Amino acid sequence: MTHAHQRLLQGDLQDQRLGRYTSDLGVTHTRTVTLPGIRTQSGYSFSQITLAYQTLGTLSPAQDNVVLVCHALSGDAHVAGLNPETGRPGWWDYHVGPGKAIDTSRFFVLSTNVLGGCGGSTGPSSVDPQTGRPYAMTFPPVTIRDMVAAQVRLLDHLRISKVFAVVGGSMGGMQALVWAVDYPHRVQTCIPIATCLAHTPMQIAFHEVGRQAIITDAQWNQGHYTAHRRPEHGLAVARMVGHVTYLSEFAMKTKFGRQLQREAKPEDLFPEFFAVESYLQYQGESFVKRFDPNSYLYITKALDRFDLLEGSPPHAALGRVKARFLVISFESDWLYPPAQARELVRTLKRANAVVTYLNLQTSYGHDSFLIQNPEFSRAVGHFLDAEYRRQRLPLKKTTQILGGTR
Amino acid sequence: MPYAQIYDQVAAWIPPTSRVLDLGTGDGAFLERLVKTNRVVGEGVELDAEHVTRCIERGLAVHQGDVMSGLDQYGNGAFDYILLLGTFQELKPSEQLVREALRVGRRLVVSFSNFGHIRVRWQLLVGGRTPVTDALPSPWFRTPNIHFFTILDFRDFCREMRLRHVASAYFNRRGFVRWFPNLRADIALCLLEAAPRV
Repeated sequence: MTHAHQRLLQGDLQDQRLGRYTSDLGVTHTRTVTLPGIRTQSGYSFSQITLAYQTLGTLSPAQDNVVLVCHALSGDAHVAGLNPETGRPGWWDYHVGPGKAIDTSRFFVLSTNVLGGCGGSTGPSSVDPQTGRPYAMTFPPVTIRDMVAAQVRLLDHLRISKVFAVVGGSMGGMQALVWAVDYPHRVQTCIPIATCLAHTPMQIAFHEVGRQAIITDAQWNQGHYTAHRRPEHGLAVARMVGHVTYLSEFAMKTKFGRQLQREAKPEDLFPEFFAVESYLQYQGESFVKRFDPNSYLYITKALDRFDLLEGSPPHAALGRVKARFLVISFESDWLYPPAQARELVRTLKRANAVVTYLNLQTSYGHDSFLIQNPEFSRAVGHFLDAEYRRQRLPLKKTTQILGGTR
Repeated sequence: MPYAQIYDQVAAWIPPTSRVLDLGTGDGAFLERLVKTNRVVGEGVELDAEHVTRCIERGLAVHQGDVMSGLDQYGNGAFDYILLLGTFQELKPSEQLVREALRVGRRLVVSFSNFGHIRVRWQLLVGGRTPVTDALPSPWFRTPNIHFFTILDFRDFCREMRLRHVASAYFNRRGFVRWFPNLRADIALCLLEAAPRV
């Protein structure tokens, strides 16, 4: 079996069964901080918010080496290194670390759990200070822009005025785009991966299946469930549907084929228990242990609501953008297909942004950015390296040699 | 082939600080040179992911895609110069391509292999087989070229497309060709712009 296939079979780091996994970063810690509140796009005012975040590497004296990594739907602040309690690696340990694509020996990596999440940041499972009870469904609708506004609060708190790069895949890519568009003076480079300009009906549709699975679970109880009676079944089904959309036909064929997981047991409904069924059930069960059902509702809705331009003409919305972009898509990603990335690239370019676009042949589907992927790693690493060198040139020389931006 | 000389000629035609789009930029070596020595603002379009990654390594902005979809990414007049070096003869809709390139850029730099060269004519006439020369190195079943044309053909094409030759240069193994280029040149290089309407 080739190395490429072995990598493919390994999958991502979030829920796979890991044998002995060592991280170059060792054990890393996640902190939480209470920050001044924000007013959401929907008009709700938080008096204060809590964000979980992780920092890796050292902030340079000039503060010019900050890389903000934004997580996708099921991620959290723990981006790399081993969790001190569970021993599990962060979701992007393959790509973040010393000497890796996002090199922690050069860059100061910052990662937060999103607003609305369940990894330590304020979300539906947090206690509403006004009522003393969990928000549940009284939590205000959140958007990708709200998530970014919360991150801005954290950067202000850390007194970081500018980020060298903001990087993220899928929902993380949406956050990266919002950063570049809404805070043009604070972002030098932007790497949106496997993402889009706005969610399409197909993407919304898959999320709606997941949400329905949760809210029709009797234990959901209008969002007021307890730790012992959670809508676990609904959330597991939601994750199973989601997971199918993150893979590709090729990945599934290679990974499972039509193999049966085990011999039939008398209690089985049907004699065949396929390996792919077993895998999805495992993914569902594993996810339920680490994710809050209400958060899943709120975050998927934030994704569905996402529209970078929000109805304004591209030139008006993107005219102030200063960042240089590396947009990456994957040929096998049918959830966020390359055509959507090209639409994003075209819109950015026609608004005069400087954009590099790379479409990789990785065959793992949407999850291609979460697995071991040397081509992906190289591209991100080289881009950050070249841009970091460009940034460090004296200003006069920069405009002379590179002619500034077009 | 004196490729270094051909590239020197292209570099000589492009004034400093111009905005340049290189279609089929390969690993970006030439574009990087233009950026460094001519101080141009350069971008590239390239189909191959491996080449695109090399361009990224060089710090170039590059779009992965074919030439037509690459051009479509840009607004009108985004560039001063559009480079089609060795790619023109490999691309199908020549007329649309030229029109689209002139929407995005002001001037075109095109290079192509001359099918009118004496050796090409000789091989076809006497040998009776599809010519294989230094400028047309691949056999017919492996060549990426889909158009085979001569310098005179290209002049006719430019007239029909209302393109004006701002400058031309012709090359063979020994370097510049001044006399009888359609017979003696292996490679033609043309700097073109839209002819003014009369």
